[in-house]
Amino acid sequence: MKELQELSRSLLADGQVNVVIGWEQGPTGARPVFVTKPEDADRLIFDQRCVHNLAAYLSPRRPNVGKLGKAAIVAKPCDAKAVAGLIRESQIKREDVVVIGVRCGGVLADPASKEALSAETVSERCPGCESREPTLADHVLGDMPPPPPGERRRDARIDELEAMPPAERWAFWQAEFERCVRCNACRQVCPLCTCDRCVTEKTQPLWIESSAHSRGVFAWQLTRAQHHAGRCADCGECDRVCPVDIPLGLLNREVARIVERRFGFEMTDDPAAAEPIGAFRMEDEQEFIR
Amino acid sequence: MTKAITKEALTGLVAELTAAGVRVIAPAKAADGGTDYRAIFTLADAILGGEMPRRSLRAVFQPPTEAVFGWERKGTGIELTPAAAASQPQVVLGARPCDAAGVNVLDKVMGWDYKDDMWFARREATTIISLACAEMAPTCFCDKIGLSADATVGADVLLRPAGEGYTAEALTAKGEAFVSGHARWFSDEPVTADPAPPSREAFPLDKIEEWLEGHFEDALWADLGLRCLGCGACTSICPTCHCFDIVDETDGTAAGTRRRNWDTCQTGLFTVHTSGHNPRADQASRCRQRILHKFEIYPKRFEAVLCTGCGRCVQACPAGVIVPEILDSIAQRANGGAA
Repeated sequence: MKELQELSRSLLADGQVNVVIGWEQGPTGARPVFVTKPEDADRLIFDQRCVHNLAAYLSPRRPNVGKLGKAAIVAKPCDAKAVAGLIRESQIKREDVVVIGVRCGGVLADPASKEALSAETVSERCPGCESREPTLADHVLGDMPPPPPGERRRDARIDELEAMPPAERWAFWQAEFERCVRCNACRQVCPLCTCDRCVTEKTQPLWIESSAHSRGVFAWQLTRAQHHAGRCADCGECDRVCPVDIPLGLLNREVARIVERRFGFEMTDDPAAAEPIGAFRMEDEQEFIR
Repeated sequence: MTKAITKEALTGLVAELTAAGVRVIAPAKAADGGTDYRAIFTLADAILGGEMPRRSLRAVFQPPTEAVFGWERKGTGIELTPAAAASQPQVVLGARPCDAAGVNVLDKVMGWDYKDDMWFARREATTIISLACAEMAPTCFCDKIGLSADATVGADVLLRPAGEGYTAEALTAKGEAFVSGHARWFSDEPVTADPAPPSREAFPLDKIEEWLEGHFEDALWADLGLRCLGCGACTSICPTCHCFDIVDETDGTAAGTRRRNWDTCQTGLFTVHTSGHNPRADQASRCRQRILHKFEIYPKRFEAVLCTGCGRCVQACPAGVIVPEILDSIAQRANGGAA
């Protein structure tokens, strides 16, 4: 923590950056903070409650943050994948951001939790994660922690879903989507939802109905998931924000597994890697083109 | 009129209501284990006094999506079919006092310059039986907004936990009619309600309103605009947020439905003009709008704050934007503090 505060203080004092995007202790738990003065660097924290993917604040869709000037961002390994995604997709330039990487052994599901990190309290996405430190980083802080506790519950759940007959799987998602209120919070928090105009907002022609009936919800949720194929950083923010607790992480992870199987691509924090959705390879399977 | 009702009698009452075709809505377990206001068929399905239902009671009176009318092209004309009136008699059992209060607040805007038929058809067909909270969650702040764990606003009947059963206080003519219409389940035996959790001092809402009036431009908004991701999760679970959008959706080429859907002031699309100009172009101005609407604009017009302190927004915010913290900070500024 001290290391993080001192580094941030010096980055701000030397004028290398104008703002450090990190976490602070809020009234109910850890939360994002924007430190612009060296003397405020003591507010920065990093611990297992720092769940949020702060990369969302680097997106051009957050001009309020952009106006503060050059940013340093505190990033866990999974967050760094989102930063790399923004660079790959030309949303930000590598030289315009200082990445303060933090070594990570998993985070809690709830940033307001006061409990210790355990198999019960850990975020769904963490067990099985092998990234301990980001490679996309100008500075890497903290000691190397042990791997996150717990089993890969989510992958086990996906195995179960994949094993279901299609009608049963359909019924599962139907029951989950029944609660969707089409608030679009899943899109808003996503660091890689960067379209100026989202397809669900296009009305001429109307591609996706905005109503929360099953037709509109399925069209929206399936389009959202597919649009993230090979792009999703699996940070789980859409899952966490959903006000009606739809397990969007399951859907994203399923799509990521399909991409992995078919294109041999796993989301990475290498900004130069070719994303399957944006790259052409002769050896890709093309059996659907006749 | 205060009576008592045992859990056993409440079970019988629910069975009687459902048998008579009355829809009973109560906090109940959803398919995934969460709690939501849902139709129940036996009292055993209700979760009375458990965790906060995910969606507020607003969804019962104004669903996330609802048809306004259908249209069909007939020859050279168009035939309109109004949506069926939603007036099946229903009872909400175990409503949170903050949720019942929210519905009451919304009556003011729904019956203002235009009487919203769909809202009032459901309101008139519904009896709200709320249940006083036995404890307050760390995110609850109804007391700080001038309500309490056993607030009566908006309820027709208020139940208070009393040992193994409840006291039942009829608060409105509709509530009295309900209790006397189902008199055999209620007893006159005097029962003492368990004490409700104590209330803390309320925010100085008048002073907050006054401060907001004079601080359309303030550094506070810029700060809020940084942290807020504009996801609108707060507005979609709020018992008092009520903004909606009207859309036309087609079924084929000759017919379609006009629908009313929830909308949120927290995204740019909400206010963008057809010219392309957006008066609330950034997140700071959208955050300001939300706070002003709740604590200045609405009180000025309707003499009630557009917030009941349910704390769902505190739980829902992925970025730690906390309304009671904002109100505290405004109150400090209003008192001349540095905040």
